[in-house]
Parts: sequence; structure tokens; C-alpha cells
Amino acid sequence: MPEQLAISLNEILFIFTRAGFGVNAPIGISEDFARSNMWLAENGFDPSLCSIAALDSLDEGRSSLAIEYSNGHFSGSGKQYLSAIQASVSALDWIKGNQGLALTIANVDSPLLVLAALGANQVEGWQVCWCDETDASFQVNFVGKGQWQIISDGSTAIELSKGATMTMSLLDNSELTLKGEIQKFDTEIEKNKILKTGVAVHEHWDAIYAYFSRCLVKSTAESRASGAGAGLVDTD
Amino acid sequence: MPFSATLDEAMMRRPEQVMRLDRMGSSFPTRLSFMRALIRRMSKEQWKFEKLRQDIDANGFGVSVYAAHTPERTYSLVAFTQDIPADMRTDRVIAEVWDATFNLFDGVPTQDDIDYLAKNTPKQEGGRFRPSELSLARANKSLRLFEHIVSSLAEGKQPDVDLVASVGYIMRTTAVYGSGKFGCADRAKIAEREECKVSFHMELLAVYLIRWFTIDLVETIAKQRGGDKAVTIDPHIRQFIGVGNSTGLGMAPFLLKHPVLIHNWVTAKETALARVRSLETPIQGSLEAFIESVNQVAQHLKDWRVADEVQSARIEQLEVEVERLSHWCDDETNLTKPYPWNGIYQFAEDNFSLECQEMMVSLIIEPHGALVDDLADTMFATTVPQFEASMPLARLKAIVKDYYAWATSIDFSLSESQHHFWYYSEDKLEPRFGSKGIDDGVDQEMPLAIGRDADDLNEQLKTASDDVTVGEFALQYPQFRHIIRRIQNTARRPYAEVQDNLLGETMRPLDLLRFKLAFFGASKFDPKSDLWTRISMYQGAPMPDQLSDANHDDWAFPIRPKTTA
Repeated sequence: MPEQLAISLNEILFIFTRAGFGVNAPIGISEDFARSNMWLAENGFDPSLCSIAALDSLDEGRSSLAIEYSNGHFSGSGKQYLSAIQASVSALDWIKGNQGLALTIANVDSPLLVLAALGANQVEGWQVCWCDETDASFQVNFVGKGQWQIISDGSTAIELSKGATMTMSLLDNSELTLKGEIQKFDTEIEKNKILKTGVAVHEHWDAIYAYFSRCLVKSTAESRASGAGAGLVDTD
Repeated sequence: MPFSATLDEAMMRRPEQVMRLDRMGSSFPTRLSFMRALIRRMSKEQWKFEKLRQDIDANGFGVSVYAAHTPERTYSLVAFTQDIPADMRTDRVIAEVWDATFNLFDGVPTQDDIDYLAKNTPKQEGGRFRPSELSLARANKSLRLFEHIVSSLAEGKQPDVDLVASVGYIMRTTAVYGSGKFGCADRAKIAEREECKVSFHMELLAVYLIRWFTIDLVETIAKQRGGDKAVTIDPHIRQFIGVGNSTGLGMAPFLLKHPVLIHNWVTAKETALARVRSLETPIQGSLEAFIESVNQVAQHLKDWRVADEVQSARIEQLEVEVERLSHWCDDETNLTKPYPWNGIYQFAEDNFSLECQEMMVSLIIEPHGALVDDLADTMFATTVPQFEASMPLARLKAIVKDYYAWATSIDFSLSESQHHFWYYSEDKLEPRFGSKGIDDGVDQEMPLAIGRDADDLNEQLKTASDDVTVGEFALQYPQFRHIIRRIQNTARRPYAEVQDNLLGETMRPLDLLRFKLAFFGASKFDPKSDLWTRISMYQGAPMPDQLSDANHDDWAFPIRPKTTA
């Protein structure tokens, strides 16, 4: 094994789809979740860092997939966080279907995943702002094709931001809403680097894999013998 | 189209005819199949092949490197061979050891690369790979043929052609992975390279190099054993040796998870057939070539012998039907009418089994390279399926009604309609086909029940207003998001779906496997059960030193060489 585990984008798609399904997200939403994680990886992030928080939170009942909508406002129900796994597809569908109308999403557990869904679906000309439960502030601008930027106050890593009420609106180029450190990304450039190195994943990978493993069926002597058809010893 | 032809749309076969399991399970390779197209590319671009390294002992165990130099870059097969216990030789994914293991390396590996791979490649799924590795594969010997060839050559004799014909290969691959599996390069890394654009070309380049490696291996061992007395394999016999493959359920999920890609493959093949059927008069020499190929295929069928009773019966019937067709062609009036190719196809469709009909599709297309070969370059997909939230629900309802009637007409309330389910086992993620009420794992079912899910969606759509968007519907019913996305993306791609119930009691995954393997270019399908099959790859294909021969593309339905030991 290499000292630093590096995985492929295809492995992210395969593993994260089933990890989402492993916490009872519908398979179609889990597919989007996996695409979001691919996009994070393509931009140089370790996708397991923010996704493990979302998966844990949903699995432990601190977050919920239940979502309510009213007048450009999505929210969860009760005191639970709204799972970013659900919020991300709802936000995306809204943006794709409502021609520039602004949207707010309340109390999202892992806001980076919501951004990632927009990025993975080539959303352009939108900005997303939030302040999380630790008062860390972020603005993310989807500037153009594959071009995006993060402006933050620097107090919290964006992957760890949690409990955010996010506002999404058409990008206002006149001025930055938030003053702070600016990180600029070009997805195509970052992706080409990743394709040559693989995606480095760190200490949370095993936990992601554990959620994925919930989709695997325990093997028995019977299924081992019959489920795949071929013999257990083959010579010719 | 490089050769002028008019395509009569009416000559395109309908999806509900083509995309049925029984017909899919009767598929044969065509000249558009990936192996054929790859060989043509190698020849056209004058690829060079080079053995870079062969460090093996007297038994052939060690490491070897074989390179393919394209005009732009080099790809290298790194091969490790080892001694393994006979009782651990299995074709299953759950195997732990193999006679030979391989990587296709992007470039020429350094010693550090080989050292790294030596620690990982023999472990296969248990190893970790890097973006420099494009493919990962393994193979086991044909015990019968491997030793026979080595001992024959060592004694200065040629191998028994009958035995070569009955097995067809020296080694049999049991998995060829690519596209990011176990850390290997993602397809995106190479997708823009001309030689990699078409589906599976890198995996099949690996297999082509494996074939060369296996032949070189037996000749090298024979030389060490026999010394000056040893000979090499007669070139005609060598060309008749392919690479075996054992294919199980892993291929089925791929086929179902890539509907756009499948549509593009099938569209290419069906367009090729339609172009040929649309010819009012035959291209000079093509009918003669066809008649010759009908006679040749009769010989090919004599060597296609399998233990499976169902397939044996089908081959026997095919032999009778090919003979009937040959007699029919002897009547000149049948071939001198306008649209002779359509006449041949119609005769086959009206009179013969699906197996024969599909063989005729291959034979009809075969002499028309100038008319159809451009279609091989269209057999890939780059589309990422999108969920169209703004689509009016009324539109989705119409699509389901127009394109998924095959699914909504199945009665899924019957237990036999939902007899099976697909799942991944914890044993090395081996895909398995379970039976409800017998096997565990229904709750972890793979989302491959396309027909059932479309039918469930249809039932829910009946209760929903036309005046909402798909996004609003999906917010209320998120469990349908995956099937909605699929339907939205396949609606304009009529060959995307297998139009049968994949859960039914009588469903044979084997049909899916053969369909896909035929697109690869595989031959000599040898079913071992309804769930897996052995095949031969590259049998009859030119060896690297024959790629510049004028007949380098003439290896459809290969027949045994006339040379004897």
C-alpha cells in the first residue's frame, strides 16, 4: 500500500453512491451525493472530510432528509439539521428550474456539499453566502465555466463548516459581500492534476468505507456456491 | 459516410426488436467490434511492438514487459508469472492467486515502477494501483494446452491443431479491470487520446499484449527445455491461438448502468446494418465475399463445440440453417434482385433462428468496411446524465408512456416477475444474482431493476398533477429520482434499455454477457451456466508482426489452419 492512500474518481463515484444509500438516502439522491464528492475531489479537496460529517449526522439522527419548502425557503423539520445530502439536490433543482430567483436553505449540516452539487452541475453566475453556527462566514462565487472562488473570514476550514443558513442568488459582480481571504479555483486545471496523482484521502476514509459496506451482502456457503454461477475450482 | 450510400430509415431495426434478451443473447461480433477496430487502428497507424524485458526462470516464472508504441505514446504490459496450487485455480472474482497477473502501464515503467507493481499486481483486488496503471488483469493457464504446446515445441514438433482448436487459448483471463478500479487511472485521464476514445480499447490492448505474452512464454520455456531442438509455433497456428476469458456477472451491472453508451454501441451496429440493407445494388465483389464467408463460417461452426446443452442445440440448428442459406444463395435469382442485402436479411429473419439471424447481421456487414467502418469511431459516450428538474411532469408522463411501455406492461405483482435481485457480496464485492425468499440481501439490492422501477414510477405519476415540474414531484417522491433521471436521459436514445424484465424467474444474465462480449469482439461463446461463460478473444487476429499484412482485417469467424503437426 502506498503510504498515502490515493483513490480514483471512479472509486469515489462507486463508494460514495453506496455510502449515501448506506444511511438510507434514496439511490437517486445518493448518486448526486457521489457526483458532488467527485467534484470536490476534482478541485483538490479530500471529499471524505465534509462527507463523513454529513453521513455521521444523518446516521446518528442529528440530521434529517425531510425537507420543507415555502416561498424560496427550504428548511428541515424540527430541531434536526437539514442534511446536505438532501439540501444539495433541492438547491440544484431550484436553481435549474427557477430562472434566477434567490433561495435560502436553513440549518444545513455540511454546506460545502451543497456547493459541490452546484459545481458538479456546472452552475455559473451564482453566489452562495452563509454564516455557520460558529459564526464563520463564507461566500462562494461560481464565476464562469469551471471558475469559482471561496471568500472566507479564515476562522474555519470550509470542509468543517456546519449548521449554516445559506443564501443563494445571482452573482453580484459589483462588490464582494464578504471581505476576506480569497481562494480561486479552476476545476479543469485541478482535475487534470488529480487525474495524474489520484485523490488523496485521509483518516476518515475507513469510516466512509464502512457506510459503503452496508450495501454489501454477507456471504454464505450457499450464496458463495450459487450466486455467481462459476465453479470454485476451474481447470481446463 | 466515406462510401456513398443512402440510409433508408425503414431499414433500421426497431429497439423493441433489437433490445430483447433472447436476441441480445444471440449476438455475434461484427467488424465494428472493439477488437476488430483496434486491430485496424494498429495496422493503419503502424504501431510497433517490442519485448522490453523477460526475466523468467526455466518454468516461466518471473516478470516480463511488452510494449506497444503508437505514433504518440507507448503503453507497456507488465506481466508477473508464478507457480500456484492447482486447487486454487478458479475463474471466480473470489480467487486469491493466479498463474499470471498484469498491468497495462501508461508509458515505459522504470525499475521503481516494476518493484512497486511486483508488490501489488499479484494481489489483484488486494493491491493498490496508481494513475500510471491503465488496466489490471489476471489469467490462468489452460493446463491441457499450455504443457502440450511447451512439450511439443521442445521436442521440435508443432502442437496438435485439434487440441489447439478445442481449447483456443494458452491462458484464460478471469478479469480485466480499467477505468479507475483499485486506484488505476480514471478513464478521464485518457479519454481524449485518439487511440483510447472508443470504449474498452485500452483494456483490449492489454488483452492483445497478453495474447502475445502467452505465445512468447510457451516458446521461451520450450527453448529452455529443448535447446537447439526446440521450434517456434507455426505462424498459422500461432494466429489461431487467442486469449481465453471467463466472464461472470460483473459485466451485467456495467451494461445496465451505462444506457447512453449502450445506445451508441447499438446505434452504430444497427446503422451499419441499415446502410448495407439500403444498397439497391451490391458493391463490386461484396456478394462473392459474402458467399465465401458463409462457406467459411460453416467450418468455424464445426470447431465451436460446447458442453452446454442449450448452446449445443443452438449451434446444431445454426449449422443446418447456414447450409440452407448457402443453398439459397446458390439460386442466383435470389441475389440479383434489387436490394440484395435486404433480401438476404429478410430471408434469414423469416426463416431462421435468432442465432442465425444475428450471425447473418455480422456476415452482411462484413464485406462493407468502406461503407461502415467510420461508425466504429462513434462507439463511446461522454455524457453525464442530468436530472431535468424544470421538465413539466406531463412531459415525463408522455415519455414513460411512449418509451417505457415495455416496462409498464409487465405485471410486477406476480412473484415470478420479481423472482431475482442483484447484489454485491462482501466477498471481494463479487456481483451475485439472488433469489427472493432464498438468498439474503434484498434490502441491499443493486438499483438495476429498471423495468420495475419505471413501472412503480408510472403508478405514482398517475396520481400526480400535470401542472407541476419534475423537480416538485421529486421533492415529494425522492425515491424516484434515479429512475426519472434515467428516463429523461434515455428518452431520445431508443436503444438504451434492455426491454425485458431483468428480475424475472426465467431471466438469464448470460444473455447480457454475450451481448456485451460480442461488442468486444469475442467468439466461441461457451456457457458454463446461466451466469457465466467462457469465450475466446483475438482468435485469428494478426500477431504484431502480421499487422502490416494486406489481410490483417480478415479474421471474422476464424477457421483452424490447414497446417498440421
